Amino acid sequence: MATGGQGQQIDLGSLSAQQLSQVKKQLDEEVQHLTNSYQNLRGAQQKFRDCVVSVKDGVAESVKDKALLVPLTSSLYVPGTLADTEHVLVDVGTGFYVEKTTDDAQKFYNGKIEELAKNIKDLENIVNGKANNLRVVEEVLRQKVLAGQQGGQAGVGAS
Amino acid sequence: MDPQKQVQALSDEYQGLQTEYSSLVSARQKLESQQQENKSVQKEFDSLADDASIYKLVGPVLLKQDTTEAKSTVDGRLEYIEKEIKRIEGSLKEIQEKSEGKKMEIMQIQSQMQQPAVQA
Repeated sequence: MATGGQGQQIDLGSLSAQQLSQVKKQLDEEVQHLTNSYQNLRGAQQKFRDCVVSVKDGVAESVKDKALLVPLTSSLYVPGTLADTEHVLVDVGTGFYVEKTTDDAQKFYNGKIEELAKNIKDLENIVNGKANNLRVVEEVLRQKVLAGQQGGQAGVGAS
Repeated sequence: MDPQKQVQALSDEYQGLQTEYSSLVSARQKLESQQQENKSVQKEFDSLADDASIYKLVGPVLLKQDTTEAKSTVDGRLEYIEKEIKRIEGSLKEIQEKSEGKKMEIMQIQSQMQQPAVQA
């Protein structure tokens, strides 16, 4: 039983219960951190999906002459119509905005979604690997504790 | 000097180095995420047509920017970030070596302290 660390294999059986619980704590933290990142990636992906839907439904020929209300503040709206149903400004990061056609904008967002999907998949594998390691460590720790208890009881019985 | 005090001083220094180290690590992390973002912007710019309109967010307003200018801005940022990361890597290595040395010193003094105790 060994965890596949970075090019370094340690026999878990040779560690003391204390060391094992330390390893477990560290793994717990790592899994927690990675799960957080995973959720963040999921959230970002959802945001891009919302953007695609917004561009598809909000900026199209079908809404060209429809009146819409533009929020000036959270409680004050003025009526308006969409002047351009073909172009949108897309935030590409670090404060830069690029004018794109609606089709290109959707392509851009779909590309981002795919990129994130790849990252999510990679991360999933890492989380699963870590969770596996954690399970193994927990199992060994449990056996150690049980063996320790039995040893203690046997000692009491003998005396 | 009293070895006890010496150890105390050394471990204080060691602790200081460790704090410095972790603050540098988080600085590097921040730079790396900025580098990532700038790289994706650069990739996006490379795939744009020459006549594409690029706007830059300055405060609350969007200012129209020249394509080549925007590209060179991002390139410049990436260059700077790369340099910064290299610089921080250098300091990280330095600190690691220093704290390794401190650790050795502490261990040496501690074993020296133990020896006379055993003999006595």
